[in-house]
Amino acid sequence: MVIKIVEMIVSPILAFVIGVFFLGLSRKIMARIHRRYGPPITQPIIDMIKLFYQKSVSHGILFDLGVVLSLTGSVVVILFIPFGGMCPLSGSGGLLAILYLMLLAPLGMALSGGEGANPNISIGISRKFILSLGYEVPFLFVILAIMTHYKTISIVEIVRAQQGLHWSIFSLPLLLSAIAYFIILPAILGIRPFDIVSAPQEIASGPMVEYGGKYLAFASIDHALHLFIGIALFVDLFLGGAREPITFFIKMLVVFIIGLFINAVFPRFRIEQAIKFLWKWPTFFAFLGLIVALVVR
Amino acid sequence: MDRGKISKWLKYPEKMGHKYSLWAIYFATGCGIMEIPPVLTSRWDAERFGVLPAATPRQANLFLITGYVSVKTLRPIVRTYELMREPKYTVGFGSCPINGGMYWDSYNTIKRVDKYIPIDGWIAGCMPRPESIFIAVTKLWMMIDKGAATGYIRYRENYRYYRENQERILGKLDWPPLYPEKMGEDNG
Repeated sequence: MVIKIVEMIVSPILAFVIGVFFLGLSRKIMARIHRRYGPPITQPIIDMIKLFYQKSVSHGILFDLGVVLSLTGSVVVILFIPFGGMCPLSGSGGLLAILYLMLLAPLGMALSGGEGANPNISIGISRKFILSLGYEVPFLFVILAIMTHYKTISIVEIVRAQQGLHWSIFSLPLLLSAIAYFIILPAILGIRPFDIVSAPQEIASGPMVEYGGKYLAFASIDHALHLFIGIALFVDLFLGGAREPITFFIKMLVVFIIGLFINAVFPRFRIEQAIKFLWKWPTFFAFLGLIVALVVR
Repeated sequence: MDRGKISKWLKYPEKMGHKYSLWAIYFATGCGIMEIPPVLTSRWDAERFGVLPAATPRQANLFLITGYVSVKTLRPIVRTYELMREPKYTVGFGSCPINGGMYWDSYNTIKRVDKYIPIDGWIAGCMPRPESIFIAVTKLWMMIDKGAATGYIRYRENYRYYRENQERILGKLDWPPLYPEKMGEDNG
């Protein structure tokens, strides 16, 4: 019982540290790809400290509560994800709970933005939900294929079934699912080439237009946690999780850096291009994976 | 650079944060904006100093006034400045915001911007080289360290003066005063 409570406190903090480290690393690697020196790796923390000391303006109660709701959603999802043998809420829910709770973060952002009454926010929110419509379909197929293959909804069971190099990426139906998940990963994280939600050059960072000071700090913490969730889910579902946190972290780092190269090189999709792409290739691979998983079973 | 000094971070987290994370809203008032893209991208790489382009005034804390200020652009400049959150720093970029520059006898340019919004530092030149932006940023670091970059405090204290100057040029302003308590000191 005590261990569970300690895990509940430690795992979000660990997720935050890893997410912030990834943010800093991404800025550094991106700079090196652009052939510049780049900021120090601690720059996201410096930015957050500055933002917390800046004065901020509120636009109403829901404006504050939406930020809190979106942050809470991310923290709760983290409690469901096994991280190197550590999973505080392993007994309950599993993949289905994650599937539902992952929608809380965009919902909170939308509620908060609705109070801001800025046209850029409404454009950003509508883009966010269109994009979710794009990636939720292949994501659901991926989850269904995994659940059919392992005949369970518990993510801990799935990780246990993959022990000893029986990674699900090595079996045929789930290789297709892994490809699909890797393609939609930037869409889930809202980064390039799918950063149409917060496109700073088009709609001035979308739902975050009215955020300043603490709100922006919370939004960047939320982004860091989201980065952790997306990649940790990939490692748990396809790369066999890990017994100890260090191995898990190394696996996450590999996935993150491969994803970052795609992120650094490709430009942004337009909205309808993004939907067309998401409903074509990832959906095709995910659907094929689901069919094969059903037949092989 | 003392970015790595832990003791200083623990002692003055506020100052250090504001120093090493300047997010610039570069409002394109004039020709000076041409010098900003090379500063931010690979050639001069301002990100290693923590200077980033911010998407909106709400997120920014550094305001670069790039080039001449015409009467028409003064209104958006004032609005942008008032939208930014405190503490905020302004830098006049080029000769024109200082004293009119080559437009010293023009009928529709503002000759001295610091009558309308407070300016923390100036970069002289027509055009200043991108390196001078870095000199300005390091100067601004020194000023923040000593607590001398107090433009936003001056704006709050002397709000009535600034607002009257703005209204003299722009006519009646169609937004309420930012610090209403500073407006009616004489009457009250």
